[in-house]
Amino acid sequence: MSKGKRNLLIAGVVIVVLLFSFYSFFKGTYNSFVTLDESVKASWAQVENQLQRRYDLIPNLIETVKGYAAHERKLFVDVTNARSRVGGAASVPDKIKANNALSGALSRLLVVVERYPDLKANQNFLRLQDELAGTENRIAVERRRYNEAVKTYNIKIRTFPANILAGIYGFSKSTFFEVPEAAKAAPEVKF
Amino acid sequence: MKLKRFFWVFLIVISLSAFALDSQGADKFPKPVGAINDFAGVIPAKYKQPMESVAREVLQKTGAAVVVVTLKDIEGNDPAGYANRLYEAWGIGGKESDKGVLIFLALKERRVRIEVGYGLEGVLTDGMSGEILDKYVVPLLGKGDYGGGLFNALMAVSSIAAKDAGVSLTAVPGTQRKQKEPPKMNLFSLILFFIILSLLLGTRAGRRMLPFLILMLLMGGRGGGAGSFGGFGGGFGGFGGGMSGGGGAGRGF
Repeated sequence: MSKGKRNLLIAGVVIVVLLFSFYSFFKGTYNSFVTLDESVKASWAQVENQLQRRYDLIPNLIETVKGYAAHERKLFVDVTNARSRVGGAASVPDKIKANNALSGALSRLLVVVERYPDLKANQNFLRLQDELAGTENRIAVERRRYNEAVKTYNIKIRTFPANILAGIYGFSKSTFFEVPEAAKAAPEVKF
Repeated sequence: MKLKRFFWVFLIVISLSAFALDSQGADKFPKPVGAINDFAGVIPAKYKQPMESVAREVLQKTGAAVVVVTLKDIEGNDPAGYANRLYEAWGIGGKESDKGVLIFLALKERRVRIEVGYGLEGVLTDGMSGEILDKYVVPLLGKGDYGGGLFNALMAVSSIAAKDAGVSLTAVPGTQRKQKEPPKMNLFSLILFFIILSLLLGTRAGRRMLPFLILMLLMGGRGGGAGSFGGFGGGFGGFGGGMSGGGGAGRGF
């Protein structure tokens, strides 16, 4: 084999290797964007399931509490208003905000409920309170998983060199589901 | 020369396996020893053996894994969150079915919790979990009868799972063993790995680059997959990668 031919061969191999590695970088990065983006969406759907569950529980809760603590009208109105704002929220950040407000209103209601021993002895109310506490806990769990998915996704699209591709294809940062400190003291069942 | 080459291969293997072992997560959970994991040492022997038998029978007959865990101290963690993460770390129940229940007791915090996997949420509702705790568990725990309280919790949960599956329990010790598969490596990346390896070791330039490459790998590396522990659980096969969404109920005692 002549020297020219050999050089040509080497150059050819180098180009093929370069092209291939470029292709696999592109493919790997783009596909991982898609995968992570989908996992953010899937975990958000799980969060929404639980938020919906709480949304559905509230009328029942208010009905039961009303029978025992009718004059706590303001609290019922607060919770009902917060609930309807949750129903009206469309975007993810809006939904997060509305739900944080609802958490606050609910926990205020449940604090007041502590003052009504008759209500706390009601078997129906006890179950309802467990369902609500369980739902709050489910929301917390799904929120944690959602935030983990968002974190992984955000890190991926913001670190070099993937951020270049993310910019080109319009993958943007997702919103964390953050809970204000005041709302963290979520309703807890105490006996 | 040969010795040197061997040395480099050795170094690469070591550095790669270091990545594979790099674990994630802040919680350090103990490994399960069976269905009954009495790490706090509060369940008397007269309860422990029957409980283990019941849990195995429930798993065999209904496919639901009921696991009991007691811990001395959860270091100020929120019991509900801790139980949920422990549930996920152990993978109680099957991967797709998620049929599992974790009965969790934190001794120092004086908290007990029934954590229900996704697959049993419909069968064992939060209200029912709360009622079980109120009626059969918390009164005994309050008197210091941890064995009796946890036994009751296990029996109540088991009978609900059995009723749903349409079977009756006789508490016959079972012997089921299930092992996790070792993580598979992608064939393509394996081939690529060997091509690169032979390029690096087979050419003079490659050998010269090697130390730098390894240095880069070691410095820039964050861990990849978490090492999964295979085949634990002392013969109790209830750890198949199940998850819980935080259903269930908790009480203080």
